[in-house]
Amino acid sequence: MTPQELVTREKQEVAGQEKTRPGRYFQPDVDICEYDDYLKLWAEMPGVKDKDLKVTLEDDVLTIEGLVDIETYKNLSPVYTEYNVGNYFRQFTLGESIDESGIRAVMRNGVLELTLPKTAKAKLRRIGVQAG
Amino acid sequence: MALLRFESDLDPILSLQKELERFLRNPAVSLGVSGYGAFPPINVLEDAEGMVVVVELPGLSPSEVNVSSKGRTLGLSGECKPPDGDQGSYHRHERRFGVFSRSIQIPEDLDLEKAEAKCEAGLLTIRVPKAERAKPRQITVQAEKEENTP
Repeated sequence: MTPQELVTREKQEVAGQEKTRPGRYFQPDVDICEYDDYLKLWAEMPGVKDKDLKVTLEDDVLTIEGLVDIETYKNLSPVYTEYNVGNYFRQFTLGESIDESGIRAVMRNGVLELTLPKTAKAKLRRIGVQAG
Repeated sequence: MALLRFESDLDPILSLQKELERFLRNPAVSLGVSGYGAFPPINVLEDAEGMVVVVELPGLSPSEVNVSSKGRTLGLSGECKPPDGDQGSYHRHERRFGVFSRSIQIPEDLDLEKAEAKCEAGLLTIRVPKAERAKPRQITVQAEKEENTP
């Protein structure tokens, strides 16, 4: 199978909540995948360096915020543009019980990879159903 | 044309966004880019030294991006690959994976041979400097030779 050719989708702006910092915030595209013992989340945030990324978990609400580094654009003037730049923000309410202390975050080439381990209790909760 | 000087330290991002937005909605500017809506989206900017192409390619390492030049055409290609070991069940699947290829026509007064590319934090930046002949040159005004000096 030949890989699919990619097309561009317009960035989705964060609606509703206004931030204290000026400027636009966009929603990063995410993938969330569940495994037996943990959840994995990937968020695409091109232009965000690891030092400018903030991930918090409070009352089951996971918050991801990334400030984009605009140094690249300094002293340049646009000639032709196809996208706007902005900070990234997104929140999720986690249904599974997550072991907060075990969360790991890695920033790789503008993609945040979060590993959210389930608590022992959440792991046990799953009851195997046998075929009759 | 206004240069993004970032006068205020507090809201440099605001002025950048405004400036980019102005150009985003302007159909009059065209560089002969191979189709709006193509992947990856690109921004083209300039300064006195030349042109800078900024491309958002999250997830791609420098070795996975192929940048080439042929005549006056700058080519970009590569593949966005999904992470290995897909054994779980997806709750959300918003990222897209696949191949891409697009090209940009570079104006004649730029020197594509001297172009430099770097890829950092999912951002590919290609700088194409102005050709030597396109750079402003100071022409020395010669003084008339004084013939009556001893």
